[in-house]
Amino acid sequence: MNHKKVKFAIGSVLVVFAIGYLISAGISSTSQYFFTVDELLAQKVAYTGAGLKVKGRVVNGSIARDPADQLLTRFSIQEKTGKLLVVYKGITPDMFQDGGEVVVEGTLSRDGTFHANVLMTSCPSKYEAEKEEGKTHPGSVPVPGTEPETPDFNKVGSGSKTRV
Amino acid sequence: MNDLGEFALMVALATALYGCIGYVLAARGNRLDLYLSADKTPVIVWGCVVVASIALWKAFMVDDFSLEYVWAYSNRDLDVFYKVSSFWGGQKGSLLFWTLLLTSYMVVVYFQNRKRNAKLVPYALVVMLTITLFFLVLLNFSTNPFERIPLPPEDGRGLNPLLQNYWMVIHPPTLYLGYVGFTVPFAFALAALITKNLDDSWIRLTRKWTLISWFFLCMGNLFGAHWAYLELGWGGYWAWDPVENAAFMPLIIATAYLHSVMIQEKKDMMKVWNMSLILLTFVMTIFGTFITRSGLIQSVHTFDEATLGYYFLAFLGVIIVICVSLIASRLPLLRSKNELDSFLSRESSFLFNNLVLLGIAFATFWGTIFPIVSEAVRGIKITVGPPFYNQVNVPIGLVLLALIGIGPVIAWRRATWAHLRKNFFKPVLIALVFGVGLWIWALPSNRAEVYSFIAFVLCVFVMSTIIIEFLKGTLARSHLHEETPLQALGSLVWRSKSRYGGYIVHVGVVFIFAGIAGSQAYGTHIEQHVKVGESLQIRDYTLKYERLGFIQENPTKTRAVAQLGVYQNGRRVWTGQPEKEFYKGQNQPVSEVDVRSTWKEDLYIILADFKEDDSATLKIYLNPMVSWIWMGAWIIAFGTTVSVWPDRLEARRRLERMKVQDAVFSPAQE
Repeated sequence: MNHKKVKFAIGSVLVVFAIGYLISAGISSTSQYFFTVDELLAQKVAYTGAGLKVKGRVVNGSIARDPADQLLTRFSIQEKTGKLLVVYKGITPDMFQDGGEVVVEGTLSRDGTFHANVLMTSCPSKYEAEKEEGKTHPGSVPVPGTEPETPDFNKVGSGSKTRV
Repeated sequence: MNDLGEFALMVALATALYGCIGYVLAARGNRLDLYLSADKTPVIVWGCVVVASIALWKAFMVDDFSLEYVWAYSNRDLDVFYKVSSFWGGQKGSLLFWTLLLTSYMVVVYFQNRKRNAKLVPYALVVMLTITLFFLVLLNFSTNPFERIPLPPEDGRGLNPLLQNYWMVIHPPTLYLGYVGFTVPFAFALAALITKNLDDSWIRLTRKWTLISWFFLCMGNLFGAHWAYLELGWGGYWAWDPVENAAFMPLIIATAYLHSVMIQEKKDMMKVWNMSLILLTFVMTIFGTFITRSGLIQSVHTFDEATLGYYFLAFLGVIIVICVSLIASRLPLLRSKNELDSFLSRESSFLFNNLVLLGIAFATFWGTIFPIVSEAVRGIKITVGPPFYNQVNVPIGLVLLALIGIGPVIAWRRATWAHLRKNFFKPVLIALVFGVGLWIWALPSNRAEVYSFIAFVLCVFVMSTIIIEFLKGTLARSHLHEETPLQALGSLVWRSKSRYGGYIVHVGVVFIFAGIAGSQAYGTHIEQHVKVGESLQIRDYTLKYERLGFIQENPTKTRAVAQLGVYQNGRRVWTGQPEKEFYKGQNQPVSEVDVRSTWKEDLYIILADFKEDDSATLKIYLNPMVSWIWMGAWIIAFGTTVSVWPDRLEARRRLERMKVQDAVFSPAQE
């Protein structure tokens, strides 16, 4: 290797190191643990206070809005065994509803309540329509001419996708 | 018609298989008869895929719910416009759509090179046929869009309302045109490696393909951002979701490739690098498809076809092994004849531009797969979100922005100080004056604002270098040829389209940087529950919530519309009407935001919720300069069009350069 090559090798290595440093610093300062409800409940003591992301299904009928503060929502999420009470402040996504899969970001307090600052619904995707297991899938008996549903405006808890 | 479509897919599979084997055997045994018969297959495969696609479209048009796919993504009431686009609304159809584009590209390559480039084209066709074969295997055995329902239902389930938006109609095809387009340069690169024709003929042959694919990928990303901004109603346009990253990474690597090939064309350097970049671009398109289809990575988009993921993973593995081993075995032939001279040269600015772009791509890649890596290594899933990507990619992006200003102006080979002063004195001065002014006008108060400040200063720097380039060229021409400035500008661009087209694209990129800088650092939002008649305040806007109305638009759709009077300095400037739409058969409402967009800022209103007493929960964003991003998109579109416009002068220049290179280097080789 002549000195020009060495020079460029050193320059490139410096750039690579700088980028590598940014990446590792970024990971260590912004990463969050990701658990399902059951995984979190199995080891919750260790993670009180830390930045967490938890996935679960909204327990049917658990969504309650605070009458005093319309932006405050309480609900529970569950997986197979455990249940986690979540308190969230902010507008809720359109697809936030009973039985829906959600991911919440926030912290777990000592009393076992999860304080979420971000609520995301796993959207039924751009590409895959939502499959309600067994109910309307062609594998089972198709329902001809589903009843027209009139929206019940009083019941609708809604909003839009909130991220950040 | 459904049987015909299904049958066409089977014939396509058999023909593609025959074609692959036929071409290879013909090349090995030097058999012309076999070659001639194999050489008919690309067109036949394309024809079959077209028939299958028409069959599926027909099924959508006639509401044939005996097809599971049509049933899942359409219903009788669906607008014809959306029936057409439902074709790519789901997994199965989008794979068929992919195959349709791929085979169409293949046929264009086939006819374009009918009588020339005989050394590379058959091999490139084999590569494309093989990739087509992979998709046809999927379509026949795993995700058949013609799968039937034994007892056809009366009506379909309808298309997800979020997808009923015109951006969503044009976004996927645009993205796919880009994704699939990179198959062509990839195929030619592999052909060059296989046949050891490692001069830059494969690069010249695919220059336009690469540019056009890059263009579509870029537009696809921006359309997707625009769709997310208008439709998802969370006030942002980019969330660093794995699916977005999947489309972003090939774009970034392709950008690196577009730049580094210039070095190979002009200086005959970086051959291994270019080869690796284009192969990597293609690998990333497949990796992106793998992420989006496998459900392996937690994303707001869910895809529950895990088996499909394995197909893609296997395919990915095979491609990587083939690429790496081919490059390794051809390494001696790819050795460069020139070397870099000085840090202060255009070559090295391109080298650093490449490193920086790859850095962004790698950071994005690492963040995307980090949950999997951490789970494998530590047993705990650790995720990173937008803060990670912003923290890492913003500083790297700023370096990139500076290089956009430096690269096109700095001298080749070795820039002297005199040369640097001549080229950079004015732009740097302008940027500094602007920086001081901006500093005084709006002192940055946090890290995001400091980054934005730097971004704005760099944007001004880059813009000045570009404007000075145009001015210099225009003035020189109008002097020499006695043309009016406008004429001179026109013929300047006309006479070297690829160069000035590139500059125009850079202008578009600067606009996008400025839009991101403005909206990320200076935006604000409020969330409030208001009764009718109450007002909200955001910066200098006052929004008065006037009323809530309901509109039964058609039997399947009801809209709840909130009306807000928007006042600025006591004057009514706009009436905002955010909505919530309720669709029959869909149990979730869809928010329709309302946006007042100006060049300065967007006022973005979401109707989050409402009660019986008509009181409403509203979320209001003030997003500065977002419209600059969409303007940037159109500028990029214009610049790319200029760049790919047929240019006879440029073709001649290239040819001459090649001759010179050959004359210079051929004696040295012997």
